[in-house]
Amino acid sequence: MRNSARYQWIYAWMLLSPAMIFLITFTHYPAVQTVVSSFFSTARGRRKSIFIGWDNYTTLMADEVFWKVLVNNFWYAVWTIPLSIILSLAMALWVNEKLRGRGFLRMAYFTPTVLPLIAVANIWLFFYTPGFGLIDQIRGLLSYPEQNWMGSPDTALYSMIAVAIWKEAGFFMIFYLAALQTIPPSLREAAAIEGAGKFYYFRRVAFPLLMPTTLFVSVNAVINSFRLVDHIFVMTEGGPNNASSLLLFYIYEVAFDYWDTAYAATLTVIMLTILTTVAIGQFFFLDKKVHYK
Amino acid sequence: MSGGSVSLKGVTKSWGVNTALNNVSLDVPAGQFTALLGPSGCGKSTALRIVSGLDDPTSGQVFIDGEDVTDAAPAARDIAMVFQSYALFPHLSVAENIVFGLRVRGLSRNERDQKLASAAELLGLRRLLDRKPSQLSGGQQQRVALGRAIVADKSIFLMDEPLSNLDAKLRAEMREEIRDLQRRLGVTMLYVTHDQVEAVTMADQVVLMNHGQIEQMASPRVMYEAPATLFAAKFIGTPPMVTFSIKLLASALTSEFLQKCQNFTFGIRPEALVPDDNGAIAGQVAHIEYLGADTMVECKVGEETLLCRVSGKTRLASGMEIRLALNANDLHVFETASGRREDTMLKEIEMALSSQTAGSVSAFQTQTQR
Repeated sequence: MRNSARYQWIYAWMLLSPAMIFLITFTHYPAVQTVVSSFFSTARGRRKSIFIGWDNYTTLMADEVFWKVLVNNFWYAVWTIPLSIILSLAMALWVNEKLRGRGFLRMAYFTPTVLPLIAVANIWLFFYTPGFGLIDQIRGLLSYPEQNWMGSPDTALYSMIAVAIWKEAGFFMIFYLAALQTIPPSLREAAAIEGAGKFYYFRRVAFPLLMPTTLFVSVNAVINSFRLVDHIFVMTEGGPNNASSLLLFYIYEVAFDYWDTAYAATLTVIMLTILTTVAIGQFFFLDKKVHYK
Repeated sequence: MSGGSVSLKGVTKSWGVNTALNNVSLDVPAGQFTALLGPSGCGKSTALRIVSGLDDPTSGQVFIDGEDVTDAAPAARDIAMVFQSYALFPHLSVAENIVFGLRVRGLSRNERDQKLASAAELLGLRRLLDRKPSQLSGGQQQRVALGRAIVADKSIFLMDEPLSNLDAKLRAEMREEIRDLQRRLGVTMLYVTHDQVEAVTMADQVVLMNHGQIEQMASPRVMYEAPATLFAAKFIGTPPMVTFSIKLLASALTSEFLQKCQNFTFGIRPEALVPDDNGAIAGQVAHIEYLGADTMVECKVGEETLLCRVSGKTRLASGMEIRLALNANDLHVFETASGRREDTMLKEIEMALSSQTAGSVSAFQTQTQR
């Protein structure tokens, strides 16, 4: 008995170890290593990597491209997060109603989620093509001039934003739809008996009950606003003149096009800091307003 | 506040091939307690939902206070409703749940507080007003749902099995409380239940439904003493009415009369069957169910099984021979095919039984203590 008690911790470690080994090797170690790398120079040829303190960070402060992509990413987040959430909620509310072809509609809304972002980008590439793309063809019918959506610095970023929203909304809709279906219909009926209209019911009852989902979805939307950059590779490669480049895309360029890994590590540290701060802030801010069952 | 009347005229509700209500007409008198009673799936909840306006009838009309409200929205119908699940808003406090409707109607803060205070007082919810529904017991949740109905100042209360989620003791308490509340507020109550005890103890009028149709609409007393159909006879009463064929009384009747009775089913309440050494019905005790004050005795008489209620002190035990007597007045007669009550037949059989030979007569007439 004493023996088994003494050795119980061994069992615990044995059970934990498979997951732990993978987590440490592929998540925790690289994360720590990234922070460490950001204080070293990039090894080049015979020149070894040496400790350079905050030098990388000083470079970063003076890097115009960095500020440019940070501002781009800010606008990318500002548009994609609320729009994809509002759109997904609206779609969920709609396909939650009893209506003809509901199953088809739900599937149609979810399709963008199933498609790989690379494929989505290819579809949108066709939409945006100047002259004979879908959008320009429609504009042509209304006798508007041709427009190079992805080629002009004014519209390139917004073209990317539209694709991201289109891709994300269907995914978030599924969460809202699931949450809506857990609301008992009798609540709606009770509200109807009390004379509450559709909008009043949504504002006072449905929306508050959806808050846990909104929190979950918004945390995901924030992460995605930094993470979803695949379509930029396919569509604009960050151009023109970095107009549509985002932080993660820039990190990729720095690391694997310019091979400045130390600087890429520095950029990564900045991105992680931003993401962590936002996610934690969001959690504490919204958690107070969330009603959990 | 005083009640309004409700009536359904020829209401049918069907979903595709399924008919939930089949040409139902009923009147709920103003200021009274009417129970809609029936087994599950009999259409009673559908009838309630049609009165509330949450569902529309396929055909037929709904009248409230004589006014046709068939197409009116639920909120325009002068009704308040308590749901089986209570339908409390889980994210709102008790107070906010109760005044939900008042906010919708844009009442001033003063009026809201006033109504809330008086409803909370009436229901003993004063100290719970800040709680969330999940922090309340089932009985308290029930009271909050009642509170929401009370502050609405409507003259008709609709309740859909409001007590079915409560335990037995609480159910008995709430039964009294709801009945009391209805009297005090003077509202019209339309109360759906599958529990005949609830219906019989609470209601002024019971509407018994089966297969989307009304079997009988009467006061609880009439429904117990003179059930209009075989179904009503078997649904009301614990245990229900015992039914048997005329062969059971063969010894006391002439053969031509027996012939005449072939298409009828006879019934008697278990308390009207009395063990009596001179009784005309001879059988054997098959099973005894001791209930304390009473004992239910199941007797085998030929192919029939009879149930009789005797005092809890009885010495009867299963396997014993038993003779049972009954009073002809206590018999009920129903036409077997339609299930309809046949009072003319009842008169005849009473005559036939009383004109028999002395021996049998004593057996059928000595029981007059009821």
